[in-house]
Amino acid sequence: MSRFLNELDAKNLLSEYGVPMAMSKVAGSQEEAVRIAGEMEFPVVMKILSSDIQHKTEAGCVYLGVGEKDVGKTYEEIMENAAAYKADAAIDGVLIQEMAKEGLEVIVGMKKDPQFGPVLMAGSGGIYVEVFQDIALRLLPVDEKEAVRMIKETKLYQIIRGARGTEYDMDALVSCLLKVSELAVDQPSIEEIDINPLFLYEKGQGAKGVDALIKITEEK
Amino acid sequence: MVHSLDALFNPENIAVIGASNNPLKAGYTVIYNLNQIGYPKQVFPVTVSADEILGRSCYKKLSEIEETVELVVLGTPAKMIYDIMDDLALRMESKHDVKVIVCIAADYGETKTEEGIRRQGCLIETAGKYGIRVVGPNCIGIIDNINRVDTTFVETLIPKEMRGQKGGISFISQSGAMAASILMMGASGPAPISMNKFISIGNMADVDCIDLLEYFEQDEDTKVIGMYLEGYPDGRKLIDTLARIARKKPVVILKVGRSSIGAEAANSHTGSLAGADSVYDAAFRQFGIVRVYTIEDMMDTLQAFDAMKIPDGRNCFLLTQAGGPGIYCTDAFVDEKILKFPLVSEETKNKLADALPPMANVCSPEGYADITAAATVEHHVESLRTVMDDDAVDSVIFVTVVPTFLPRRELAEGLLHLLVEDGYREKKPVCICIMAGNYVWECRQILERGGIHTFDTPAHCVKAMSHMTAYGQFLKRQEEEADE
Repeated sequence: MSRFLNELDAKNLLSEYGVPMAMSKVAGSQEEAVRIAGEMEFPVVMKILSSDIQHKTEAGCVYLGVGEKDVGKTYEEIMENAAAYKADAAIDGVLIQEMAKEGLEVIVGMKKDPQFGPVLMAGSGGIYVEVFQDIALRLLPVDEKEAVRMIKETKLYQIIRGARGTEYDMDALVSCLLKVSELAVDQPSIEEIDINPLFLYEKGQGAKGVDALIKITEEK
Repeated sequence: MVHSLDALFNPENIAVIGASNNPLKAGYTVIYNLNQIGYPKQVFPVTVSADEILGRSCYKKLSEIEETVELVVLGTPAKMIYDIMDDLALRMESKHDVKVIVCIAADYGETKTEEGIRRQGCLIETAGKYGIRVVGPNCIGIIDNINRVDTTFVETLIPKEMRGQKGGISFISQSGAMAASILMMGASGPAPISMNKFISIGNMADVDCIDLLEYFEQDEDTKVIGMYLEGYPDGRKLIDTLARIARKKPVVILKVGRSSIGAEAANSHTGSLAGADSVYDAAFRQFGIVRVYTIEDMMDTLQAFDAMKIPDGRNCFLLTQAGGPGIYCTDAFVDEKILKFPLVSEETKNKLADALPPMANVCSPEGYADITAAATVEHHVESLRTVMDDDAVDSVIFVTVVPTFLPRRELAEGLLHLLVEDGYREKKPVCICIMAGNYVWECRQILERGGIHTFDTPAHCVKAMSHMTAYGQFLKRQEEEADE
C-alpha cells in the first residue's frame, strides 16, 4: 500500500536532506494558529494539512498573504472548506508557512519507475507543468555534471542563464537535484517526490521550496 | 571462447523442418535463400511432401539425417510441434549435435491461447533439456553475411552475386514484419545494404534482446548495432546493457510505442510527466544511445556509422551546388541544434574562390559555400578536397543537383577517387546527397558500390550527421570525464 506524507512531514524530510524549504509549522487550534503566525513575518500562507486532500487550492484550502488580523478567521474558513470538500478527510491541522519571496518557478521531482527504478525530474514549475512539459529526466544515480546537463536540456535553462537580464541560481538548483537524488537513494520506500514550485532566486541567493508532495510505500 | 549463440550465426550444417517445393511457402524460401547466399556447408530439407527441393535431397525426419546438424530451422505448422520434439529428443539421445533452433512458425505463445502457450512450452522444455537455444517462435529468422547463413523467408530480390557482402551493421528486430520490411527496403537502395548479422527475435521465448546485444558487443565484425524496439520486461537491465555497449560502439534504436505516455493515472506531476516512453528517451540521452524516429533515419544512420568515421567535433561545412537545396539543408541543419558552421581559414577561402566559377559564394555565411550550377566535376571534387583539408572542419554535408551538362558517371568517379583512393574518407565524414530520383541513380550506384553511402535528400544527410556528431560528443565527454 502506498500513501502520501502530509505536507509538513514531506517538507521536514526534504529539509533534513538539505533541500531549502519555506518555514512551516502546524496549528491544531485557532489560538495556536495566532501564536505560531505571530512568530513569523506577516503576511503568511495558511493551508490545510491533510494527506487526504491533494488538490488544496481546488478545495479552497490555501490562503496566501494572510495578515495578522485575519489568522483566526482564516483558520476557521480553511477547516469549514476542507469539511465541505471531503467530509471524511483526516485533518492534521492547518499549516502556517512563511510567505516566501517569489522567484523563478521550478519543479524538482522523483518517481520510482516500475521498470527503471528511481527517475529524477527537473524543469519549469508552477501550475502549468503538464501544459508546458518543459522537463528533463534522468535515471539515478546522477552526478553534478549530469544534473547540469539535464537542466540544460530544458527551456528553463535559457531563463536561468539570463534570457531576460536576470541570471538565476543554477548552483542552488543543481544542489537541490543532488539532494533529492540522495534522499531517493537513501529511502527506497519513497515512490514519488514533487517539489513544486521551488522558487529559484537570483544568482547567489539560493532557492526555496514552497510546496512538496511525497508518496511512500507503507511496509506491512 | 565458445558462445552458445555461435552455432546460430555459424552453424555446422542446417536442417529445415517443414521445407517445401511450393514457392509460395516459407519452407521453400528458406532453402532458396540458403542457396542464394551460398551457405558453404550442408542443408537438409526435412519434409514428407517432397524428395528433392532446389537440388537438395529431402529427409522424412530430423532423426534420419546421418551428418551433424547444429542449426534447425522450424517452419512446420505449430500443431506438429509435439511430434517434432519427440523426434528431436530421439536424435539428441544418440547424436547430441543440435545447438540452436530458429522457429519461424507462428501460432505459439504470442496467441495467448492455452494451446499456443502449451506448444511453446513443449518447444522450450525439450530444447532446454538438451541445452539447445531457441530463437523465436514467430520470427522471420536470421542472416549472417560473413558466414553466409540466411534462414529467413523474406525475398529481397538481391541478385545472387550481391549476396553475402560483408557489412558492419548488426540488427535486432522485435517485429518480424518490420524486420522483413527493413530487409526489403534495404535491398532497394542504389546498392543493397549488406548487414553483418540480422535477427528477428519473435516471442523471445529463450534468446532475447540482451543475449543478442551482448553477443554483438563482443563481435569484432559488428561496428554498429541497430534495433527495432517495442519494449522489454526489465527496462533497467536493457538500459544498463545498452549503456555499457554505447561506450564502445554506437547503438541506434527505433523505439516505438510513444503514445502510451501518461496512460497510468498519477497523483504527482512527476508521476504524470515521467511516462514510460519519456523515461526511455531520457535514458537513451543519458547513456549515449542514438534514438531515431523513422525507418529511413534508422537505415541512413546505421549506414553512416558503418561507412564513415565518427566526427571529432560539431563543425560541419555545408557545400552545395545550388542555392535552394543549400537553404533547405541549412534549415534542417539549424533545427537539429547540434551541428555548427565552422570558421575556415583565409587560405581555404582564397583557395575556394580561386578554384571555383566567379559566381560562386564562398563562406557567406561562414561555413557555407555554393559552388553554383556552373560547377564542373573538377570544381565539385576540388572544393570538397579543400574544405576537408581545413582543420576547422570536422565533417561535411555535400549537396549537388546534377544538371544535364554535368556528366554523372564522371562525377561519381571523381568523388570516389578523392574519398577512397586518396583516402579522404578516413579523415572526416562526408554525407553526400546527389539530388534526385532515377536520373542520378546510376551515379549513386557507382558511389555506393565503391563504399560511399549516399542520401535521398539534404535533410537525410543532416539527420545522420547530427546523430553521428551527437554520439561523437558523447564519446568525447566520456573520455574527458574518465581523465579527471
